[in-house]
Amino acid sequence: MNTNLMIYIVRRAIYAFVTLIFIIVIVYFLIHIIAPSPYALAGIYAGSGHHTRAELNSIISKYHLNAPLYEQVLLYIGNILHGNLGYDPVYKIPEIDLIGRFLPRTLELVIPAILFSTLLGIITGAFGASHRRKIQDQGVKGTYLVTWASPPFFVAIVLQLFIAYDLGLLPATGIASSALTPPPDVTGFPLLNGIVAGNLGYTLSVIHHMILPALAIALLSFGVITRLTRSSMLDAMESDYFKLELMKGVERNKAIYGTALRNASIPIVTLLALTFGYAVAGAVVVEDIFDYHGMGWFIVQAIYSTDYIAILGTTIIIAISIILANLIADILYGVIDPRVRVR
Amino acid sequence: MIDKTMTETKTTFNKVGYFGTLIKDKSALIGIVIAGAFLIWSLIQGILENLASYTGYSRLGYLLLPSNPFATNFSQRLAPPSFSSLSMVFGTNDLGESIVSRMLYAMPRDALVSVIVVFSAIVIGALLGIISGYRGGWLENIIMRITDAFLSIPALILVIAISIPLKAGFDAVIIALSIVWWPTYARFFRAQTLRVKEMDYVQAARINGVNPFNIFFKYLFLNSVDPIIAYAALDFGNVILTYSTLAFLGIGLTIPIPELGAMASTGLSYLPADWWYSLFPSITILIIVVGFVLVGDRYQDVINNRIDY
Repeated sequence: MNTNLMIYIVRRAIYAFVTLIFIIVIVYFLIHIIAPSPYALAGIYAGSGHHTRAELNSIISKYHLNAPLYEQVLLYIGNILHGNLGYDPVYKIPEIDLIGRFLPRTLELVIPAILFSTLLGIITGAFGASHRRKIQDQGVKGTYLVTWASPPFFVAIVLQLFIAYDLGLLPATGIASSALTPPPDVTGFPLLNGIVAGNLGYTLSVIHHMILPALAIALLSFGVITRLTRSSMLDAMESDYFKLELMKGVERNKAIYGTALRNASIPIVTLLALTFGYAVAGAVVVEDIFDYHGMGWFIVQAIYSTDYIAILGTTIIIAISIILANLIADILYGVIDPRVRVR
Repeated sequence: MIDKTMTETKTTFNKVGYFGTLIKDKSALIGIVIAGAFLIWSLIQGILENLASYTGYSRLGYLLLPSNPFATNFSQRLAPPSFSSLSMVFGTNDLGESIVSRMLYAMPRDALVSVIVVFSAIVIGALLGIISGYRGGWLENIIMRITDAFLSIPALILVIAISIPLKAGFDAVIIALSIVWWPTYARFFRAQTLRVKEMDYVQAARINGVNPFNIFFKYLFLNSVDPIIAYAALDFGNVILTYSTLAFLGIGLTIPIPELGAMASTGLSYLPADWWYSLFPSITILIIVVGFVLVGDRYQDVINNRIDY
């Protein structure tokens, strides 16, 4: 591997780590501004309901809320790096175990959704650009405007209502049919569990249950990609190399979907991480509506039960996932386009 | 100095040109009409609602509405839309309250949230972005790392994390949204500042001893402001969407006060039979957001010279 690329990757990795530390410090300081005294903070950690002084005191000593601020921050960072996100007051088990249970399910939903929305965005964007200002282009624009501008819960509920309840094509709620016994949880990912156990019925049921929520997430996030693809395609179609292709007698469609699209799609890699963020935010509402027990559903439950340890833990874990997604996108970009390595 | 005057003339010319081009574009015009109508209505209705609560004369709060948005009528529970009276065009909710009146009553708060959040984001973003672009060095490094840190958590998640300990009321939502909304603007302003600060007229002003505040405001802020306005127009829509999603999650205003997002989400449990309950508020949110997105989108095209795209 060439040294430039190595240096680039190491630099991006260090940068990602620094961003993570900044996030932890910022989140910690924000909470301390909101709850300046140890008792106030302990009250937030304890969740809703009335708590005795003794209960609060035990929380204070458990999380060292009496220590000087800088010591608390260091302790907090250390704990997170060791995978200790506190003890969940509602489920009575360590937070990291809960998140470990819910995160894979969300990833299993969000990753296909992103791939689909990227594909959909690139295709519709290129299609719109190649029919610029015609009725097809207006159609593409109208579609992504409407999905972008609708309240996310509305998109999800309309899909659920029509496709699941009215037409009965796909299941409306859950991760897999409750009539089936789930295979042993080896991987954490329901789909992989089904495959590993060789349980075809369960695997198919999981896929069936995934389609609608994944489609909802994809619909909520594809507009950004359509918009970017469309405008960078139009830029590419104004370029000299594109006009040269046409003058050489290459068929217009071939020039558009071959040359122009290939060049226009490079910057889309950088959007992957952004789309990942959109998709995770979308998953909060979508999982709640489809009763899909992943991270998003877990966050909504935590809001209802004011389980702050859970909200804090999921926030940090989501930040880490997005930073990792960013890092992967950066590295991919560096591999595809050598120019960025020397920046 | 000649250079400076030339640039300034060019800018003024462009500004008239931008709006002129924008208003001639059909989709931008639709956007301007929708967003303008929403903002003007919100201003008028907002003033009336405030007058009503100051004077205690509650009739003022629904002077312009088809009916009193708080008037329950149990014989008219979940009545479907009808043209029998203006207050019934969108039907009634589970308490027999007129949906159209409640929607019109709710709009000022959506407008208020988006205006406060976007403006505070512009102010904070301009301060941090211009300072870091202009000064550079370690200060820039720290500010930009903080910006990146904020950008790597979806706004919705961070707003939840901040507003829950603040007891998740209306003020909490505004505070939390304002805390998380500025980073995109900081990046914008920094990039613009880096571009503008090397230009001759800024250098000339600096050498001629123009005071730093003027350089900051007149030369850097005003010269960065066009792309920001375009983005901000689009961003009003994003704030409204996030705000209504929070309402769906039970964060924000509590029940008796009408709120578009909350109406849309409460109505979801009455689908599909009583479809009007959720549909009209949802579509209203959709139309308002589309309005802002159209303006922002086309404005960006005009600035980037892509108006015929």
